[in-house]
Amino acid sequence: MTGGTSLLHGAVLVMFLAPASLLGLLAIPSLLRRPPQERVVASATRIAMVVAFAAALLALATYLAAGTGPQVLSYGAWFSLGTGRFAFDFLVDGRSLGFAVLSTGICGVVAAFSRRYLHLEAGFNRYFVQFAMFVLGITLVALAGSIEVLFAGWELIGLSSALLVGFFHERRAPVVNALRVFAVYRVSDAAMLGAAVLLHHWAGSGSLSLLFSGQGQAELALHGNQAVAIALLLLGAVAGKSALLPFSGWLPRAMEGPTPSSAVYYGALSIHAGCLLLLRAEPLLAQSPAARVVAALLGAATALYATLTARVQSDVKSALAYASLTQVGIIIVEIALGLTGVAFIHMLGHACFRVLQFLSAPNVLHDLHELENLVGGHIGQGSHGALAARPSRRAGTLYLVALERGFVDALIDRAIVAPFYGLVGRLDRLDRWLSGGGGADGPDSDSEGTP
Amino acid sequence: MTPVSLWLTGLAAAPLGAVVGVALDLEAERLRRLAVLCAGAMFAIAATLFVVPELHSFQIPWPGAAHAFLGQSMLRSDAFSSALIPLPAALWLLTVAVTPRSRLDRAGLPRTALSTLATTLAFLTESPALLMLFWTASVAMFLAALSPPDARRGQRVAAAYLAVATVLLGVGIALVTTAATPGSRAEQLGLWLIITAALIRKGIFPFHAWIPEVFDRGRLGPAILFSAPQMGSYVVAVLVVPRASPETLRVVAILALVTAVYGAALTLFQRDARRACGYLFVSQSALVLAGLDCTGVEALGGALVLWISSALAFAGVARCVLVLEARRGRLDLTTHHGGYEQMPILAASFLVLGMACTGFPGTLGFVGEELLVEGAVGAFPVLGFAVVVAVALTGLAVLRMYFSLFCGARGISVQLRLRRREAIVFGAAAAFLVLNGLVPGPIVASRLAASHTLLAQRTAFLTPGTPRTLTHRCR
Repeated sequence: MTGGTSLLHGAVLVMFLAPASLLGLLAIPSLLRRPPQERVVASATRIAMVVAFAAALLALATYLAAGTGPQVLSYGAWFSLGTGRFAFDFLVDGRSLGFAVLSTGICGVVAAFSRRYLHLEAGFNRYFVQFAMFVLGITLVALAGSIEVLFAGWELIGLSSALLVGFFHERRAPVVNALRVFAVYRVSDAAMLGAAVLLHHWAGSGSLSLLFSGQGQAELALHGNQAVAIALLLLGAVAGKSALLPFSGWLPRAMEGPTPSSAVYYGALSIHAGCLLLLRAEPLLAQSPAARVVAALLGAATALYATLTARVQSDVKSALAYASLTQVGIIIVEIALGLTGVAFIHMLGHACFRVLQFLSAPNVLHDLHELENLVGGHIGQGSHGALAARPSRRAGTLYLVALERGFVDALIDRAIVAPFYGLVGRLDRLDRWLSGGGGADGPDSDSEGTP
Repeated sequence: MTPVSLWLTGLAAAPLGAVVGVALDLEAERLRRLAVLCAGAMFAIAATLFVVPELHSFQIPWPGAAHAFLGQSMLRSDAFSSALIPLPAALWLLTVAVTPRSRLDRAGLPRTALSTLATTLAFLTESPALLMLFWTASVAMFLAALSPPDARRGQRVAAAYLAVATVLLGVGIALVTTAATPGSRAEQLGLWLIITAALIRKGIFPFHAWIPEVFDRGRLGPAILFSAPQMGSYVVAVLVVPRASPETLRVVAILALVTAVYGAALTLFQRDARRACGYLFVSQSALVLAGLDCTGVEALGGALVLWISSALAFAGVARCVLVLEARRGRLDLTTHHGGYEQMPILAASFLVLGMACTGFPGTLGFVGEELLVEGAVGAFPVLGFAVVVAVALTGLAVLRMYFSLFCGARGISVQLRLRRREAIVFGAAAAFLVLNGLVPGPIVASRLAASHTLLAQRTAFLTPGTPRTLTHRCR
């Protein structure tokens, strides 16, 4: 191993260990009934974020200086079947390291912001535990070299996202919305797991270097339909995680979480995780034109839907979320068209811009309210004015559709949720009948005495 | 007396200590402490048998010529069974450690102790006769623990299903062991009867309806102890997997895969936490069975990892529900009960244990499900994805339970804080699953060795001309 490679190995490992250590450091004392003080939490988070960011920068600089192209950094087998197939590998290239620099940088900024935003909040420590879980997840997604590592990161992002949406859990709405968000994430996770299984099944390996770097496609021996199937499953995973149609309905629901987490998830990183995945899987898309077409259509439809919906939102976070989604849709189209360089720069720029918008939104609103108090009335016209001002019937219909967020949730409820619950409800009644129980609910539980 | 005999004597004596404590009519707190001590000792001995290489594999023959009728060995431990031996003791320890003094059931304690002993001894034998004996003993203890008046309905339903299962197992074993030629009609019929008995006991579709009913209307504590170790899976692994034809195993695997999705979907639907636990068990138990019947190294290894992971994780989740019930009464999942701030450890443990049931990364469940799903898709390219669907639905169901049980505003009028021993027990269970999920190498290696043992045994059985004993094993 050369000096440069060793440095890269070390830097990438530190990038992973920093958030992992932070997670352990914050979670374990809480479980031992010794939750750390705010000051300790903030200091530990700051140190971990600075270390991770510095390591990411170092890794990127080392990689660019070496100029060797994509590299697989292997840290051993996670668990082995005798052939070491479940590998703990990272695949580093310009994009993965670039995204890692972006994500550690943004997470550092948001962590610093969160410290003040959540000062004296009851769930201060809980927030940072879940935040650390997210940073670990996004780092794994950015650097994953095997599909198991990618899946682990994907799931960590999903769970931390749902828990943060339900952060203010003493109220009902955040919890209900968190569950809805998690339901979509589970669909996304299932698609990802399906892709992982098929990759192992057909390619005999979970290595992403074959899919992501375009190397060794001959050895991979994925024929046309296999490549299409894996690409479509990855696209399904991306659609869920990045709120593409028809899964867009969860995005405004996710705004129930604290503003800093909304910024980092739905403005900057989580919503772009799907784009990064698709970007890295571009060689696979190149092998499967059908998936490319589907991606382009999904992206375009989502962008159109989101831009219309964003214009009629009555709260700033939802408006920003849909504005983000518009850009995500466009980025997906760019990737589908093969404009990967443009898409990557677009993604980086958009993430930085949007996180700034999210974080400054509470101050802007505060200033606006102060100004309105001084003026003694409302200032300006809502962004929906452009649609609402047109009296034509078509514009009215469009306005209604946008106001109802495209009826996406209602459609999913009617087409999937209601039939599912109807079927399961009938099965439940059948089970109760089979066990001679009828429909009445259970007995007393106070008499339970164990063992 | 050999060292193994000494350890086995200790293993059997530990639960009997609790029985003696009840017989001596000890004061409640002393009895509780004695029960924890006995369960802890039993677990420590069982874990030693698994961990220490010299004690890992052994065989204790029948005295005299009984082996001609009762099987090659009386008790044995090998790569397959050694990891299962600590499981019943761990679950019993989990039970007695979190049971408050005020709820200690003097009549129930000997039953759970003897039931644990019966399950442990069942895992130590491959003799069909002894298996039948321990199966019957555990069923009898379980039904006695579901004693009236509070659980009459649950007892009746369980008794009906389990009585049928026990009879089927007895007839099946008799047919298999007395079959004149391998693969004869009598042996095939016997195998199907054994399979049906195991399906009933494990709650596999279409024989599953009694499980949620018992969880719902019976007593949750004994239900957890009876179901979580999955003796039905053991019977399938020891008696069915080596002998059954590939077609038979395919049918069982398909039933199990369907049940995994069915159970997960119904867990998500339930309004009541106890019933949800019942369906969660149905789904988890089905996943283990699906892996056992896929007969590939990966699926089998995954099932064996999942067996340990899901037993502990499921028992932990159900125990959390019981601990909450003790403080709040019956738990309705359509409302949010609150209490996270008072019981963060229980909430975190519930989440970790629940997520282990769903194969969340960083837990042992992830390893098991990764192996299982891959093996299942290898065996059933389309239906194998049922595992993926089941895992997705289970994850959603677990998070729904978590939100309902720990989130929401609560006007606190009762003591909700967790006791120290409850916190330790739940924390230890969660830590075991996380540590083995982060460093799964040793446990995966052990379970893969076990799966190789089972497959070698199957190969030997199905190879014509291989000499067969009553419970032939390849070592």
